[in-house]
Amino acid sequence: MKIKSLLIANRGEIAIRIIKTARKMGIRSYVIKTAKEPNAWYLEEADEIIDFSEDYDESIPEFLDIERIIKGAKKRKVDAIHPGYGFLAENPDFARRCEEENIIFVGPSHDAIYRMGHKTIAKELAREHGVPLLGGSPGAVRDAEEARKIANEIGYPVILKAAAGGGGRGMRVVSKEKDIERMFTLATNEASKAFNNPDVFLERFVREPRHIEFQILADKHGNVIHLGERECSVQRKHQKLLEESPSPALSSALRKKMGEAAVNIAKAVNYYSAGTVEFLLDSDNSFSFMEMNTRIQVEHPVTEMVTGIDLIEQMIRIAEGEKLAYTQKDIKLNGWAIEWRINAEDVQSGFSPSLGTIEKISWPEDEHVRVDTGVRDGSVITPYFDSMIAKLIVHAETREKALQQSSMAIRKFWIKGTKTTLAFCRAVLQNTNFRKGNFNTSFLSKELKIHYHAEPDEALLAAFFATYDYAREIQENEEKPLHTENGKIAPWVLKKRLR
Amino acid sequence: MAREAKKKQSTKLIALSTTNKAYEFRKPLEKKIKYQGKEVEIKLHEDPKGFSYIVWKNKKYMLDVIEKKQNRYTIMVNGVWHTFTVETPVSLKRKRYLEQQADASSAVSIEAPMPGKIIDIMVEEGAEVKEGEPIIILEAMKMQNEITSHITGLVKTVAVKKNETVMKDDVLIEIQRG
Amino acid sequence: MDVKGRNFTRFLERQQAHSEQQDAKAASKQHAKGKLTAWERIDILFDEDTFEEVDAFVTADRSDTGFGKVKQTFGDGVIIGHGLIRGRLTFAYAQDFTVMGGSLGSVHAAKIMKIQDMALKMGAPMIGLIDSGGARIQEGVASLAGYAGIFYRNVQSSGVIPQISVILGPAAGGAVYSPSITDFVFMTDQTSYMFVTGPNVVKEVLNEDVSFNDLGGAGIHSKKSGVAHMVFPDEENTLMGVRQLLAYLPSNNMENSPEMELSPDETADVEEKLRDIVPDDPNKPYDVKDVINLLVDKRSFYEISENYAQNIVVGFGRMDGKVIGIVANQPKVLAGTLDINSSNKGARFIRFCDAFNIPLLILEDVPGFLPGIDQEHNGIIRHGAKMLYAFADSTVPRITVILRKSYGGAYCVMNSKNLGGDFNFAWPTAEIAVMGPEGAVAILYRKDLDASDDAVALKKELAAKYRNEIANPYVAEERGFIDEVIDPAVTRQKLIRAFEALETKHVDNPARKHGNIPL
Repeated sequence: MKIKSLLIANRGEIAIRIIKTARKMGIRSYVIKTAKEPNAWYLEEADEIIDFSEDYDESIPEFLDIERIIKGAKKRKVDAIHPGYGFLAENPDFARRCEEENIIFVGPSHDAIYRMGHKTIAKELAREHGVPLLGGSPGAVRDAEEARKIANEIGYPVILKAAAGGGGRGMRVVSKEKDIERMFTLATNEASKAFNNPDVFLERFVREPRHIEFQILADKHGNVIHLGERECSVQRKHQKLLEESPSPALSSALRKKMGEAAVNIAKAVNYYSAGTVEFLLDSDNSFSFMEMNTRIQVEHPVTEMVTGIDLIEQMIRIAEGEKLAYTQKDIKLNGWAIEWRINAEDVQSGFSPSLGTIEKISWPEDEHVRVDTGVRDGSVITPYFDSMIAKLIVHAETREKALQQSSMAIRKFWIKGTKTTLAFCRAVLQNTNFRKGNFNTSFLSKELKIHYHAEPDEALLAAFFATYDYAREIQENEEKPLHTENGKIAPWVLKKRLR
Repeated sequence: MAREAKKKQSTKLIALSTTNKAYEFRKPLEKKIKYQGKEVEIKLHEDPKGFSYIVWKNKKYMLDVIEKKQNRYTIMVNGVWHTFTVETPVSLKRKRYLEQQADASSAVSIEAPMPGKIIDIMVEEGAEVKEGEPIIILEAMKMQNEITSHITGLVKTVAVKKNETVMKDDVLIEIQRG
Repeated sequence: MDVKGRNFTRFLERQQAHSEQQDAKAASKQHAKGKLTAWERIDILFDEDTFEEVDAFVTADRSDTGFGKVKQTFGDGVIIGHGLIRGRLTFAYAQDFTVMGGSLGSVHAAKIMKIQDMALKMGAPMIGLIDSGGARIQEGVASLAGYAGIFYRNVQSSGVIPQISVILGPAAGGAVYSPSITDFVFMTDQTSYMFVTGPNVVKEVLNEDVSFNDLGGAGIHSKKSGVAHMVFPDEENTLMGVRQLLAYLPSNNMENSPEMELSPDETADVEEKLRDIVPDDPNKPYDVKDVINLLVDKRSFYEISENYAQNIVVGFGRMDGKVIGIVANQPKVLAGTLDINSSNKGARFIRFCDAFNIPLLILEDVPGFLPGIDQEHNGIIRHGAKMLYAFADSTVPRITVILRKSYGGAYCVMNSKNLGGDFNFAWPTAEIAVMGPEGAVAILYRKDLDASDDAVALKKELAAKYRNEIANPYVAEERGFIDEVIDPAVTRQKLIRAFEALETKHVDNPARKHGNIPL
C-alpha cells in the first residue's frame, strides 16, 4: 500500500535527511520533540511534531520508548515509521510491535533484525551458507574462564565483542592471557549498560584488517542486490571517522566475490529493505564475515553519490511492497565519494567530547560537495545525544580529485563555538599513505602520528590574535573616559545619604 | 618628594605557548607581525556571518577566541586550537624565574578529561603506580574510559569516590613523582 | 638662594643619598623571586608621573632597642604617598621587601597610619601594597602597637573610603588583619601568601607538613577561605586589576561611582537571546553569567570572588554607564542553593554596595538552602541570616528579577518585596512557592498518594498541577509581591528605566548606634 504519512523516530541529520526524501515523494512527515532539545532544527523541517517534551519518564529515553512512539503514531493514524539509525532501528521488538499495530515498519522484518542482531546466530547462518568466517567461540562466552580456554586454543590476540550490539561498545581486544579476566569484566559491563545484554562472544582478532562493508537493497519479493562497497577502515576505538566508496583495495573480481557473499547472507534471512554486510579484509585479500547491520547507516551518502540512487526512497518503496527497480547489472559505481564525519570532539585532547553551542556554522556550496547536518547557528550539542555536527561528503571523478576537493571543502568549513574533528580530517589528508590508498584499521593508532594538522604559520597567527585581543582589552579599559562628580551631587540625595 | 618617574612601559607583548615557544609583538595594536625578517601588516576581516578571519599568503584563516581567562587565551585557527598566555617582558622573566624554582618532586594532578561518573578506582593513597598504568574508570557518553597515570610515582591523594560525578578538569588523583 | 651655595648643595646631597638607597642589586634579588620592587609597583598602579611621595626621609629611632640596633634607612621600608588613578586622587602605601624584609617597625607603622589619616581626611581610596616579613622583632611591642594603630584606622575608614589590600608577598601573623578588614583583597598567584600561623609553627605544634602555598597561597584564599577576592597570574595584571576595580567605585561614601560612556556598539534594544538561556525544565542547569553579560553594558561585568562559593555570583557591572552591584544565584553549581559560604560572600558584598551608594540588582533562581548536617551544625541559620539582614538594612536602590525558582525562606532572603525590594520583576519561567512542587505535593496529598496504585504517576500529575496553579509567578503578581512579570527580551530596558527612577531614593532606618547583625 502507498505510504502517505511517515513518522521518523529519530533526530538530527538523519531525521532531516529522511524528511527530505519524504517531501520529494509527497509523504507527510512527523517527528518527535524532546525536552532535551526543544529548539532542534529537525523539528522545523517536518510537517508535524509529536510532543514528548512534557511529563516524560526519565527512566526511558524518548527515542527508546517503544509504546509511547507507537501510541503517538496510532493516535495520528500514521501509515509508517522510519527508525533511522541507532535508537530502535535494530530493536526486533519495535519492528514486531509496528507489525502488530498495522504500522508499516520501513526496514526489514523483525525476524531478520533479531537473527542478524545476534552475532552468534548470524555467524551460524553465515557458516551454513558458505560465507567465510573467523575462528572463535560458537556462541556467547559464559565467563572469563571459558574465554581464557577458547582464547588459548585459537591463539592470541583475540577480541571480545558484545553479542547484542556494536559501534565499539562492549568490545575489548585481549593480547595476553593475564588481561583476559579484566577485559572480560569491562566488556560485559559495557555491553550490559549499552544493550541491556551482557553477552559477549570471542573471536580471533585480525591485526590491521581493512573494514569493508557492502550496501544491500532487497525487496519483499525475494530480489536482493548489492550497491557496491564502502571502505571504513579509518576508525578510532571502533567508531568510524571517514568512509569512501569505492575502496582502493578492491579489484572488480574481489568486489564481485564479496558482493555475492553479502547477497547470500541477506538471502539467508529473507532480508528486505536496506542493510549493510560488514567484512574484514586481510592483507592477502581473504575476507571474513563480521556482521550485518539491518538498518540504514550513517555513511549511506557515499553509496548514494556513486550509484545515484536515493536509498531512503528505495526503503520506502520496498516497504510499500514495490519490486526493486534495479537488477545487479544496473548498478554502476561512478567516480569516487568520500564522507568526512565532523564531530564536536577535541582531537587535541584525545577526542574528548566538546559540548556547547554552535554559534555559527558555514560551509562551501559546491557541485562536488554535499553536507548532511542537523545543526545550524545556535544549535546545542548536548551530552544526551551523539556529538555529530555534520557529514561532509565529496564526490569527484577520481580519488585524487576527491581528495583535492576534500581539502578545499574542509578548509572552507567554518565552525565557531566548539572544538571539532576538522583538524583530524586535515591530518588524514596530509598523510601520504592515505593519499595512496594504503591504509587499514590500524591507521589511526600506528600510521597517523599526530591526529591533527596545523600549518606552521597558524600558530603565529593565533599568537598574534591573542595578543591583539589582550592589548585591545587593556586599551579599552584604560582609555574609556570616566565621568566623576567631583563633589557635585544633588542636595536632596546628599542630605540623607548618611544616617 | 617627587622622584624621577620611570619611563612609560613599552607596548611589547609576548604570547607564550604551552610548549614554551615565545612570539614577540612589539606593537600589537598596529597589527604588524615580524615574519622572516620583514614587517608584515595583518588585516583582520569579519565575514558577513560574523566569522573573524585573516588573509595570509592569499588564503583565508578563520580565527576564534574559544576561551579567555585573564591573560590565558585559547585560539582556534582552521580547526586547530592553540593556548597562549599573553605576557609582558617583565611577567615573562618572572615566569622563567619561578619555573626554575619549581620543586622537582612536586605532585602531578590527573584531571578528568571529560565529565562523567567514577565507576572504579584501582589505586589507593600510598600505592605505587607506573606511567601508563590504568588508575580510574570513568564512564562518559555511554562508554567506559580508562584513565591512566602520566608518570611513575606514589599516589598522594585520591580526590574522588566511587559513583561520584565529576566535571571536566576536576582533579581525580595526585601522584608524587619518584 | 645661590644654587651653588651651602643650602642647596646640602639639599641635593640628601636627594642623592635617597636615590642611592634603591640599588640595582636589591632590585634583582626581588626580581629573582618573581616579584617587582615597590617603586615598580607604584609606577604600574598610578597614572604616569602623578605619584607624590610623602615622608621619604623618615628614619627609624636611632636608640638601641635592647634587641639590637635597627638599621637606619630613609623611609624605613615603606613608601607612602598619593597620586592619580584614572585621573582620581588615590592614596597608597607600598612596603619595600628589600629594606629589612619589609618588616614593620614603629616608624614604618607610623608612616602607614599617616597616609591612612590623610586618605580619610581627603575622602579618597586607600590602597595597601603589602610585601612584608611581618613585625620587626627588634622593636618588640612597638611593632605590635604599630599594627594595632593601622587596624584601628582600617576600621575607622571602613565604609567611608574604599580600602583595597594587594598582597604581593608574605603577609603573616598579625599583618593579615589589615587586609581582612579592608574591602577587597587582591593576591598574586605563586608569590603571595597569607596566614595567621606559618608552616614552621604548624610543623612544631601539630607535626603537619605543609608548604607556604598550600597553607595560605593565592589558590587557597581564592577558592577555599574566600579571603582573597581577586587573584591574578602576575603582579602587573594584579595592579591593572586594581585600577579596573577602582573605576567602579566612588572615591568616598558621599559620591556616586564614576560613570562611563557606552561603547558605540551598545544598545538597549530587545535582546532575544535572553529568552533562550533559562530552560523551561526547572532541573536543567544554565550559567547565570550568560544572563548577566546580556543585561549589563557590554564587557562591563567585573566579578568578585569568582572561585569561592561559586553557587552565588557577585560583582560590579554598568547599566547604561552607571555602576550597579549584582548578586545572582548560579544554578549550575549546587543547583544554586544558598549555603554558609555563599551567604557570607553575598552579605559582605551587599554591605559594601550599601556603604558606597551602589544600587543592587538581584537575579534569583534558588531552590532553597543547602540541606545537611554539615550546614546545620556549622550554623547555616546564622549565616543565611546575614544576607537577609544585609538586604533589609540597606538603603540603596535594590531590584530583583526572579529568573526561575524561588522557594521558601530563600524567596524571602533574596530581596523580596517585603524585605524592602524596590522593584521585583519575574520572568515567565519563575516559580514562586513555599517549597518545590514535588515536596509540596508529597505533604498536601500524602493520604491520596499512599492510597494510590501508581503513586509515582499521581505525584507527577499533582506536581504538574501545583506547578501550573500555585507556583506560577502570576499569583504573586496578582497580590503585588511581584510588580510585573516581564518578557526576558526587554529586561535590560526595564532595568535601565527602573534604576533611573530610583536614583533619588532615600530611606531612613531608625536611629541607633548600629544594629546587631548575626556574625
